[in-house]
Amino acid sequence: MIGPIIALLLQAAPLEQPLPDPSQEARAQSLMRELRCTVCENEPVSQSTADMAVDARRMIRKQVVEGASDSQVRDFFVTRYGQYVAFRPPTDGWGMLLWGFPFALLAGGLAVLGLRLFRNRPKALEPVPDDRSGDGV
Amino acid sequence: MIAELGHLLAFLALAAAAGQSVLGLTTGGEAARRLAVAAAMFTALSMLTLIISFVRLDFSVALVVAHSHSQKPLLYRIAGAWGNHEGSMLLWCVIMAGYGAVAALFMRAGKLRDRALGVQGLLTVGSFLYLLFVSSPFTRLIDPPFDGKGLNPLLQDPAVALHPPFLYLGYVGMSFVFSMAAAGLINGNIDREWARRTRPWALGAWSFLTVGIALGAIWAYYELGWGGWWFWDPVENASFMPWLVAAALVHSLIVTEKRGGMASWTVFLAVLAFCLSLLGTFLVRSGVLTSVHAFAVDPARGTILLVGLGIAGGAALALFAWRAPTLKAGPEFDPVSREGALVLNNLFLSVSAALVLVGTVTPMVLQWLGDAQMISPEAASMSIGEPYFQLTLAPMVAFLLLFMPLAQAAPWRKAEVKPLLKWLLPSAIVAIVAALGAMALGGWGVFLGYGVLVGVWAIFGVGQDLLRRTGEGGFKRLLKLPLTVWGMAIAHMGMGLFVIGATVETAARTEQTFPLAPGQSAEMSGWKFEFQGVKIVDGPNYIATRADILATHDGRTELLQPEQRSYPVSEMGTTEVAIRKTLGGDMYVALGDQLRDQQNVWRLRIAHHPLIDWVFGGAGLIALGGFMSLVARLRRRAPIAPEVSPAEATPGTTVPEAGLGASA
Repeated sequence: MIGPIIALLLQAAPLEQPLPDPSQEARAQSLMRELRCTVCENEPVSQSTADMAVDARRMIRKQVVEGASDSQVRDFFVTRYGQYVAFRPPTDGWGMLLWGFPFALLAGGLAVLGLRLFRNRPKALEPVPDDRSGDGV
Repeated sequence: MIAELGHLLAFLALAAAAGQSVLGLTTGGEAARRLAVAAAMFTALSMLTLIISFVRLDFSVALVVAHSHSQKPLLYRIAGAWGNHEGSMLLWCVIMAGYGAVAALFMRAGKLRDRALGVQGLLTVGSFLYLLFVSSPFTRLIDPPFDGKGLNPLLQDPAVALHPPFLYLGYVGMSFVFSMAAAGLINGNIDREWARRTRPWALGAWSFLTVGIALGAIWAYYELGWGGWWFWDPVENASFMPWLVAAALVHSLIVTEKRGGMASWTVFLAVLAFCLSLLGTFLVRSGVLTSVHAFAVDPARGTILLVGLGIAGGAALALFAWRAPTLKAGPEFDPVSREGALVLNNLFLSVSAALVLVGTVTPMVLQWLGDAQMISPEAASMSIGEPYFQLTLAPMVAFLLLFMPLAQAAPWRKAEVKPLLKWLLPSAIVAIVAALGAMALGGWGVFLGYGVLVGVWAIFGVGQDLLRRTGEGGFKRLLKLPLTVWGMAIAHMGMGLFVIGATVETAARTEQTFPLAPGQSAEMSGWKFEFQGVKIVDGPNYIATRADILATHDGRTELLQPEQRSYPVSEMGTTEVAIRKTLGGDMYVALGDQLRDQQNVWRLRIAHHPLIDWVFGGAGLIALGGFMSLVARLRRRAPIAPEVSPAEATPGTTVPEAGLGASA
């Protein structure tokens, strides 16, 4: 089933073709989605028809085939074009702060609420029957 | 004459709004009410004169020259009146004064209404000062040209013609929620009655905002030609932040109305929602961003917006600090209760709003620090996009949906966890089976699995709760459930559908670019696309390059015609994609550029977007549910007596509808 399609794609797409291995192609596509097309205003390379994006897609596929890891591919682009091209902010140094703060905020919020609500937890409360006098919730 | 008339009307509206604010904050009564209605009428007439200038193509008005053209179709001439910075600020004023007039006409007379009208008057005055002195749409040209420069062609589209009015009904609607909060604080009675009377405004503004954001997403999907519907662009985030805070607000208002609890938090959210609307306007209009929304790149305008935000937010916080000690804590409740579940809802939504805010503002702040040479250029250029927002927001959304059926079914004050969980077991089983099925089909992606899991869980859990509320009556009573219950259920199921659609679409979308010469074809997702070539077609104010593509699926062939349009007047191009809807999703074909080095070979971008309609349909249901809940609330009711809580005064008249823990 795959064979004829590939053959057709090879014939139809002399410049850009998906990788034969679907899992490699999926990885390549997800990388294309998180790298910025530098000549477009606010688009990832996956979505642009600009020549730069075509070249970038080819480069990503080539590196994936050559066995580069996701972070190696990202680094390749970041070292050439700067951190600006990566929609995924760095996970080291100060970037950790950025990635960690929503979870820290959530944990902090849960801790504060938990302390306030569970300490002095009121005893012997009865459930309130719902008020269904027409206004529901 | 007509532009001068509009200008005069705007000044009259300013004067009326000034009177409204003074009278509303002092004596109140009939006069303040009449002035609020007058301000809205003057503003609406002023907008009408601007629309007339646009329809009549009055090229002596600078704004018409900059944003219209004689070849433009009528609908877009009308929409052109608000498709630019100055006109959209006038629309902002129309809606702000309009909310004041609706309140003046329909709210019960009293101090709360008068003070709210007063504060709304102040906000309206501020908006008019901004409009008239830094963004006047009525400027004339001494030497009018023969024709205009046209509207940004990307905006020549029905969805985007309607997007600003809806978005503003939401965004600016937060102003009246703000006014209600300020009025409650001034009067010193943030109580159950205040919450009951504030809730419809919050529900209305939030539902309109939902529609506005959804229209923007739909437009991005088919007009920008890249097949995405949300890109975490700062402009999108600017509208998403107030949405999240308003979503938290419509839930915390329930606790304040029904139980008298969370009063100070609710007021804080009411203030914050409007402040984030102003912040969003600042981000979009100050020129710190480049996008289709950044009509006006003028730092002065941005600075003034920031000052306005500071004044409104600062004054509200001062009021809050003054009155906070007098705000009463609500009655006691156990952490395991409907109150507890709604507190968690607010925590998840607030953390979501905070992370969107930080993710949006950080790159701008870094860039600013870099421009000021306070940090190195490498450190200053950072992008925060889809991977960050997806990975951090996904857990928050998952928590929200996990607790959603529990919050609906748990009784107020105290609930039992075990009977609730046992009762929800069927939904849990369905959700797990659905998630495993989706993962088996979609290649065992974790993200996909858990999106489906929480979405299906929420939908079935909400369904179970609907059935529970019918009690003995069974299905037949389903239609007799109160409108508010239906509103809640539909909005919550919409949220479940949206999350399933969004995760499936994101995880399983496939896209591919094919360079094709006429006669060649490409295959994708069981479809065959045969490219037949392009032809040039004339439109009303554009020239289209239209591709003919024969799409074959299951032995049936049909013609798809994606286009590239070029608008000579504005020297810009747009893409018009061809979309073939199927039950499971869209086949999406966009015509790209001709290859540099090969004549007659065109790039076609073909994508499959599974369950994309669930995304838009889910958002639509969320808004519909909000509107239903609003309509249910518009019937006039006797005010809540301050001391007696009706929930306790009339216990258990209808046992089957009581919370689950109560009947267990």
